Amino acid sequence: MTIRFTINGRAATSEAEGDTPLLWIIRDDLGLTGTKYGCGIGMCGACTVHVGGRATRACITPLAAVDGAAVTTIEGLDPQAAHPLQRAWRELQVPQCGYCQSGQIMQAVALLQDFPQPTDADIDAVMAGCLCRCMTYVRIREAIKKAAAAMAPAAAPGASS
Amino acid sequence: MAGGVIVVVAGAALALAWRPALAPIAPPPAASFAAQQIARGAVLAGAGYCATCHTAKGGQPYAGGYAMETPFGVIHSTNITPDVATGIGAWSQAAFNRAMREGVARDGSHLFPAFPYEHFSRLSDDDLVALYAYFMTRPPVQAEAPRNTLPFPLNVRLLQAGWKLLFFRPQRDEPRADRSAEWNRGAYLAEGLAHCGACHTPRNALGAERRAQAYAGAEIDHWIAPPLDAANPSPVAWDVDELVAYLSTGVTRYHGTVAGPMAAVTRGIAQLPAEDIRAIAVYFADLAGAAARADATPAAVATALARGAAGSGRSDDAAEPLYAAACASCHYNGADGVNPLRPELALGSAVHLDDPTNLIQVILFGLDALDGAPGVVMPAFGRGLSDADVARLAAYLRATRSDRPPWPDLDKKVAQVRATGASAE
Amino acid sequence: MSRVQALAEAGHPLSRRGFLVAAAGSALAFGFTRLAGAAMDPAMPGNTPAAALGPEFAPGLWFSIDSEGTVSVNIIRAEMGQHVGTALARILADELEADWERVRVIYVDTDPKWGLMVTGGSWSVWQTFPVFSRAGAAGRLALIEAGARLLGVSPAQCTARAGKVSAGSRSITYGEIARRGGPARRFSAEELDRLPLKPVSERRLIGRPTQALDIARKVDGSGLYGIDAKVPGMVYARPKLPPTRNGAKVVSIDDHAARAIKGYRQCLALDDPSETVTGWVLVIADSYPAALRASRLVQVQWTAGPGADVSEPQLQDHARALIDRADAGVRLDVGSEDPAPLFQSAASIVEQTYTTATVLHFQLEPVNALAFEKDGVMEIHTGNQWQSLILPTLAKALGRAETSIVLRTYLLGGGFGRRLNGDYAVPAALAAKALGVPVKLVLTREDDCHFDSVRSPSVQRLRMAFGADGEVQAMEHHACAGWPTQVMAGALLAKGLDDGRYDPFAIAGADHWYDVGRQLVRAIPNDLANRSFRPGWLRSVGPGWTNWALESFMDEAAHHVRQDPLAFRLQRLSGKGRNAGSAPSAVGGALRQAEVLRRAAQRAGWGSALPKDSGLGIGTSFGQERDMPTWGACVARVRVDRASGKVTVEKLTIVVDAGTIVDPDGALAQTQGAALWGLSMALHEGTEFVNGQVRDVNLNTYTPLRINQVPELDISFVDSAEVPVGLGEPATTIVAPAIANAIFAAVGVRVRDLPITAAAVRAALAT
Ligand code: FES
Ligand code: FES
Repeated sequence: MTIRFTINGRAATSEAEGDTPLLWIIRDDLGLTGTKYGCGIGMCGACTVHVGGRATRACITPLAAVDGAAVTTIEGLDPQAAHPLQRAWRELQVPQCGYCQSGQIMQAVALLQDFPQPTDADIDAVMAGCLCRCMTYVRIREAIKKAAAAMAPAAAPGASS
Repeated sequence: MAGGVIVVVAGAALALAWRPALAPIAPPPAASFAAQQIARGAVLAGAGYCATCHTAKGGQPYAGGYAMETPFGVIHSTNITPDVATGIGAWSQAAFNRAMREGVARDGSHLFPAFPYEHFSRLSDDDLVALYAYFMTRPPVQAEAPRNTLPFPLNVRLLQAGWKLLFFRPQRDEPRADRSAEWNRGAYLAEGLAHCGACHTPRNALGAERRAQAYAGAEIDHWIAPPLDAANPSPVAWDVDELVAYLSTGVTRYHGTVAGPMAAVTRGIAQLPAEDIRAIAVYFADLAGAAARADATPAAVATALARGAAGSGRSDDAAEPLYAAACASCHYNGADGVNPLRPELALGSAVHLDDPTNLIQVILFGLDALDGAPGVVMPAFGRGLSDADVARLAAYLRATRSDRPPWPDLDKKVAQVRATGASAE
Repeated sequence: MSRVQALAEAGHPLSRRGFLVAAAGSALAFGFTRLAGAAMDPAMPGNTPAAALGPEFAPGLWFSIDSEGTVSVNIIRAEMGQHVGTALARILADELEADWERVRVIYVDTDPKWGLMVTGGSWSVWQTFPVFSRAGAAGRLALIEAGARLLGVSPAQCTARAGKVSAGSRSITYGEIARRGGPARRFSAEELDRLPLKPVSERRLIGRPTQALDIARKVDGSGLYGIDAKVPGMVYARPKLPPTRNGAKVVSIDDHAARAIKGYRQCLALDDPSETVTGWVLVIADSYPAALRASRLVQVQWTAGPGADVSEPQLQDHARALIDRADAGVRLDVGSEDPAPLFQSAASIVEQTYTTATVLHFQLEPVNALAFEKDGVMEIHTGNQWQSLILPTLAKALGRAETSIVLRTYLLGGGFGRRLNGDYAVPAALAAKALGVPVKLVLTREDDCHFDSVRSPSVQRLRMAFGADGEVQAMEHHACAGWPTQVMAGALLAKGLDDGRYDPFAIAGADHWYDVGRQLVRAIPNDLANRSFRPGWLRSVGPGWTNWALESFMDEAAHHVRQDPLAFRLQRLSGKGRNAGSAPSAVGGALRQAEVLRRAAQRAGWGSALPKDSGLGIGTSFGQERDMPTWGACVARVRVDRASGKVTVEKLTIVVDAGTIVDPDGALAQTQGAALWGLSMALHEGTEFVNGQVRDVNLNTYTPLRINQVPELDISFVDSAEVPVGLGEPATTIVAPAIANAIFAAVGVRVRDLPITAAAVRAALAT
């Protein structure tokens, strides 16, 4: 059975078995390797993509579940990799090994959609699903706050700072 | 006991058993139906979610063959496309109406009550005309339904006549004068076309709805159809707004998103005109006594949010890290209120029901983009978590999100629910 | 003898001097060409280094300058989160006076010319600094001479800065010099040794903030890790792992059910002459999901090797029994007479036993490798920390010369010592050889954990003898654990007393800088551990357990003589005798350790009043080894919930003296990570062997620290111009003892087993 969905705005189809984890379709079939495999059980967040704009663990999402859905990966987040979170990530040099960071960023984007000015408690609760084995947590927190400040309406171009 | 009942049924059946066949007709040409009727029929068929039962997994729409597991055995739905040999192509409007209202096929045989003719007996002539127009203009599909696996003697269609004698009370729509027109419209839709009671009303040993316990909740298709009356355990009452949101989008603020067999129902009902959806909401909000509980909502939400915070690092429960890592990313709500796209587990019915099935179902198998919030997926955590992990999570949620007693035998329950999911790895 | 000396003795050019000569020995010649397409630049698309433009100036091994002025620095270290390429390139570029905007790093593939390729031990900056600063300085001199010639002036009139040689108002770029033939200059090894390095005040890159070159591609998903490697026509493999790490044999394979899986190809029982992956069966398929599906259906019967039923208590009991035996293990030469008589005459003795449980690496990228044969060379694309260790093993496994095997190192999704053991390259290569097609082997997370080279469980017994006045007279430290170096790199065992050989990685830390009178340090291999699994090097290795015991014990000793734990330590860090320290790397000795202790205590408010059930605890260390000390101290502030025993770490105050800091932000990042690793291993990690297998193989039960468990961190560095030493590991080991000591300060109970569990604290409170 053909599964149709969009990936980073482009139409995609797959003939793979419906229970194939979306993660491997994205990585191996579509060649978008920014999305990583860490645990395969939905508990590290390295495979986080957006489905319908919500952060979703691709490793435990069966392909069939995204029939008709819109999937976004780190590669599709921003054409110039200039999403405010990516900027903040670079400025604060968040990544160490970097392996978890695509997932962290995708999760953080979803966080800021729901909590535009997140408290520490919001960040802790929403980001706790993303393990960083290099323990870059202090910077993840800082970068999220920095991006949130940059994205706040008052910080829009033209507004006084 | 059951044997005794069957004897009675069999004896009574003989009197009523034979129904005449109605004359076959040549399928009427599509042009003979008004476009408007067909369109209205499409909406009604959606709201009756006919396709859900009359389409096999991966099969052609309405061609039947969908396997329904009942406590008595597997029943396959029939082909309701206008194919002459295998469908309803030779059925007149009268034959169609008789099937809908009395559960008798054109050839005079009795239909199993899995087909909810009890409810459809309420449908107005106009609605039946529109539905007939719609079905007779579908592409005919030649498809014979697979054999049913009901054991003898339940497989004797003749016996269905006896069943009817015992349980079937044809209903006609009788508006209640003490309720608004909107309420009565809602009642007509809910009791008839939408046949809500078919899932939400418990059934007796022979599979008939227990009218005295209408909407008290029931098990269906390995899910729990929660009570829709005042016994519904959700902390916030199902009021009109919540019901309208649920039935038209599948997403609510205080009751989570639609899941399980109900997802298809919502997709169908969502096709009804907005005033019809609202009418159904008015009807069920009344049934649930929502108006009397409205004042309690803010406190219930505040309590739930406080409980939700227990999942973000403040509990000493051993399952807390599991919840914090696997669930909180999506289900956490800040202190400022509930985001409908972050279903608040302390508010949804799943953790409050006496039976943990619904919670376990969703944890194990997730929700695909079609179900729940449209376009959004809940991953299938059963692919990674063990039965023990899921049981731990369920117990933790029960303990931290609800005041009700712990669920017994969770490990076993998880294994049972997992076994029902064929697609699970 | 330290582990660095051990490496040098084993014939590796790892000593500072040897390394430098090896580097210089290849001479400053022209026209050195890179192995085209065989190296990695994580800052470039597809990790592919940009081709050199025009003629190149390549003075020796370590860098080249093309005609556009792009400086390419060759890095033999693996990038696993330390931004190592950036730090090393800045050392070279600073002396070279290069324009940083034009500097690229290239992670080279294996080639004998690079000498020892290993990334670990927090050695990279320390070892590379002298080599790269001299390589840069030599380049600068040569470029000045050539530039002067081209400008028609004398070298004395010229200065080099930002990629240009200038004389007055005239200048010429390095690119132009390279384009016009480059300098013709040779330096002898002696000349190199004598080269004038820039004074510290002239440094323009070292110690200044910078954006690491590997960051951008870790933010947009384009950085390539081993798991992302691919070549056309490759098949996928997932192993079926035998019941034991060593000595298992395949009895039968039944793949009947698997044959129904679309894309399933075959099962391959590996025949491995190197005995690295004995008993592994690979399930081969066209896609990884197919390999996973099929592997669940394949039934393999094995006979198990040793350790099939080993359990954590057995391992620990065995260690205790070995410690009890006086003849077990090897005593280190710590320059002391036998302390035994002093224990006999002591007025009082403190003796305690400490344990640590098995710990998983859980680097986030499960191990994997892609192998294929191309032009007579077996290419292995993977992430690896110790190429020089696995190459000979691969040669043995494949039955071919090392020179016909090349390892191409991708970004590592975490190293932490796991990828020092390159075992996962072997099955991929064996399969590629057997099947004649490229094979991509990926271990699932569960596979990865099952056969992780775990940090061995350990048992340690520490004793201290006191005189009548409470004076410390003698100390013993007996440590028993699995020895990774014995199991995987036997040539690197160090020499102890009586010709004994020991694993320097497994005991480092016990040979501390405290004055304790007579001292005995005994390292004991847990042979049961060595047989039963494959003990590994895990971030900090031995100090991860030795420092847990030592720093907990120092507190207990202080309390025994009713002294403040800080004062007790400071008193023993006098910097006298053996502990005075020496050039080049240990200048200042114990006094520098005392200084970080004092600073950390002061910043953390040592001695100030705290709320009930809260406490401050201290831990300190000299990092990895006496020859390369990184001085660190940590003060932990904890709160204990008496009812549940739950310990909440509220704040960690850490002060580090690592000599010269090359990349300040990178240094901070490494220390943040190391400190939180320490916290994670103190409270949240730890597994155990049950029936020969680790109990926890994924995150449902193995629970490394997450963001919601991160305390406040106050990390600072001592401003220093001393030799730069390591930063990746040292902060890891000071956190756990600081927490245990803080728990004691808070509620008066002592925990001696790592990880510290709420149950243990609760139980201790109850007695
Ligand atoms: S790989 Fe999907 S959550 Fe870990
Ligand atoms: S940066 Fe390495 S796992 Fe997060």
